[in-house]
Amino acid sequence: MVAHSRLQMRDICKSFGGAPALQGVNLDLGAGEVLALLGANGAGKSTLVKILCGVYGKDRGSIRLDGREAALSRPEEALGQGVRFLPQEVSVLPDLSVAENILIADLPVRRTMGMAVVDREAMREHAGELLNRLGLALDLDSPVSLLSAPEQRLVEIARALAGKARIIVMDEPTAALAEPEAQALFRIIARLKQESIGVIYISHYLDEVFRIADRIVVLRDGRNAGVFAASTATRQEVLEAMLGEAMEALYPTVWPAVGESGDGGDIAPTDIAPTDTSTDGGIALEVEDMHVPGALYGVSLEVRSGEILGIFGLLGSGIAEIGRALYGALGPLRRGRVRLAGQPYIPSHPRRGRDRGIGFVAAERQREGIVPDLGVGANISLPFIERFLQPGGVSRQRERDHAQTWIERLGIRTPSVTQPVRLLSGGNQQKVCLARWLSEGVNVLILEEPTRGVDLGARRELYIELRRWTARGLAVLVVSSDAEEVAGLCDRSLVLDRGRAVGRFGSGVSAAQLMEIPGLAEHAS
Amino acid sequence: MNAASVFNRSWSGVALLLGFYLVVLMLFSLLSPWFWSWDNMMSIGANMAFIGLMCAAQTPLIIAGGLDLSVAAVAGLSGVVVALLYADGTGIWTACALALALGAGLGGINGLLAVRLGLNPLIATMGTMSVITGLSLVLTGGLTKPLMIEEFSWLGSGYVAGVPVPLVLMLVVYASLSWVLSRMRFGRFVYASGSNPEASRLVGVPVQRTLMWLYVMSGLSGALSGLILAAMLGAAAPDAAGQHLLTVIAAVILGGTSLFGGRGTLSGTLLAVLLLGTLNNGLTLMDVSSFWQDVTRGGVLLLAVGLDQVRTRAMGG
Repeated sequence: MVAHSRLQMRDICKSFGGAPALQGVNLDLGAGEVLALLGANGAGKSTLVKILCGVYGKDRGSIRLDGREAALSRPEEALGQGVRFLPQEVSVLPDLSVAENILIADLPVRRTMGMAVVDREAMREHAGELLNRLGLALDLDSPVSLLSAPEQRLVEIARALAGKARIIVMDEPTAALAEPEAQALFRIIARLKQESIGVIYISHYLDEVFRIADRIVVLRDGRNAGVFAASTATRQEVLEAMLGEAMEALYPTVWPAVGESGDGGDIAPTDIAPTDTSTDGGIALEVEDMHVPGALYGVSLEVRSGEILGIFGLLGSGIAEIGRALYGALGPLRRGRVRLAGQPYIPSHPRRGRDRGIGFVAAERQREGIVPDLGVGANISLPFIERFLQPGGVSRQRERDHAQTWIERLGIRTPSVTQPVRLLSGGNQQKVCLARWLSEGVNVLILEEPTRGVDLGARRELYIELRRWTARGLAVLVVSSDAEEVAGLCDRSLVLDRGRAVGRFGSGVSAAQLMEIPGLAEHAS
Repeated sequence: MNAASVFNRSWSGVALLLGFYLVVLMLFSLLSPWFWSWDNMMSIGANMAFIGLMCAAQTPLIIAGGLDLSVAAVAGLSGVVVALLYADGTGIWTACALALALGAGLGGINGLLAVRLGLNPLIATMGTMSVITGLSLVLTGGLTKPLMIEEFSWLGSGYVAGVPVPLVLMLVVYASLSWVLSRMRFGRFVYASGSNPEASRLVGVPVQRTLMWLYVMSGLSGALSGLILAAMLGAAAPDAAGQHLLTVIAAVILGGTSLFGGRGTLSGTLLAVLLLGTLNNGLTLMDVSSFWQDVTRGGVLLLAVGLDQVRTRAMGG
């Protein structure tokens, strides 16, 4: 590394209640360097970053900032040393103005009759300078609640730069951004480099990692698993370092045979007789001329049992609505004809959708997916709790067995079946949400952003499991803003733009082709 | 299993409360010669029963994300209604049944406001609390109505196998509700609705129906408490129960139920009810003025909730 060293972390160790999370991790970051930090869920990325930000204390090891030993034992201390963190979820103060949000940690004040009064002029001036530095044009006086989610993200970045920022840690910064906003973010990162700020970038999207990172540091099981120069490394190398074994293709190309895995359990999915073993069964879901006010204007599609149909689109294209409207989560569908296995169906209510054999996993896992205080087992059994009833109540034994089966099949990392789901990592929470619906009687499964925030290893497990179920006749609708996922996973795909279907593809489509639909290009420019 | 998962973490909270309770029992045994006797223990239970009953319904309601501030007002009205109906010549048990039905109906109105209309439950039930209290005062002209009927007073001061009737009632209600919460499907719905209503709705949990039932139950519990209180006092006082509202809420919180919903247990609530009752009783036996008792009760609430907060933080969120 030619550049001056911003950060040196040496031999960092940390354990939680005896379970080691980090075992002697090293990390170097140069001034003006973009470092991608990769690793599967539980590899130790977030623990490492939290130690850097003063959220956790380290058990052992040393941290040097610009060559000087730094304790960083409290978040305030890390902030004071110029270490800034952008969490995955946007956290702005919605009722305050853009300028106030940016400078909230250090509002400029003047003294009037001995009282500290916010100096509005100075505040607008400073905030304006910061936005200029980032090449952003936002109304300084507008309440942040009026901004779009991507704009709020930009405000957060400006906030992180206030004061003397030396290191910025970004956790999945593009997870909620569509392509144009992601581009804007990459331009900002380029500027940060010029100002010789060090950037640590955590992401599950390998494409963007190779696009913007200078170096890639891979963690695995709490240890360093490799350091790569982004310009010379191959995806394969990086994936292997992350997963610890020769990585098979992320998207399964050879579907596992029906009943391949033989784990036990009373209600093991493998025991269920396949409803249809052929991969091109009848039409499971048929939609004609579907309208949702303000979101969808005459979309038609069909999904056969045994296939995965992908719906790709950007923010505002209608992908946020189409899945949930079909499930019934948006209330009665006013216009459009829907048929389930040939039978008319009017989406109206989640319970109705469930009873008609539709499963639904929502995009916002924290808000709409998990039931945080219930255990893993209770979360999985929730939609079909009736099946676990016996005289006297819910059969805990059957529920436990059922959950145990899924914990093994999907590789859900949890200390026990009764562990509250809020204590699980994001990827494992997503597996719990999916396991709920991989069940007898579900014929159509609608998944919104099924692998957002899920690491590559877990993604592969989820994909294989989906394929196992389509092989037995399940029809899957994947609604995603991840073009790579739609292209890689789905048998056929549909592109939405401003509420209309603007492109249809068979298998073998590339992510680039999906992104290149004319309407989208125009949208992006 | 859900119950287990919820309880796992709260168990140490319940254990903390139990320890606290034992310390209090020991202290009072040492300080007062009259404290540690069967009769005194039973009288603590009987005196707390009408509050405990209101807590029994309030606990699942708060776990599910609701709140009912009108419950004590319903108790007041229920006693008044029985007294007035009886004075009008209605049979006492018919009058009781009507009072219970009225309680359930008022709970239903709370449910309509808070669930169907989506009003904030704090505001909705504060409103109905005021309306109901006012009605009790209007109906009685603010006066206490005597209600000395032998068979009715059994409800307040009778015994079943040496145990006071109110205490028996309370224990039966706790045992059955506890079973419902931890083992029945409905209990699952209660925890799920409070923990994440939107996610619950999306997997088909009848969140609104669950809350409606809980509001009805809360109204019913208020009416039953009112009957017991009137039977104990031998009179229906329009404002006798209202002053206990804060004790009800305090006991539920002290018992470890989260005001944000999703977490809590009936065993914790029961323990908290007994603890508050014991404090009251012990301090009275020691001739501490009731003004100081208020101070002590508040102090215990803050101490217990504070300790619990420290414990939760130590366990890592």
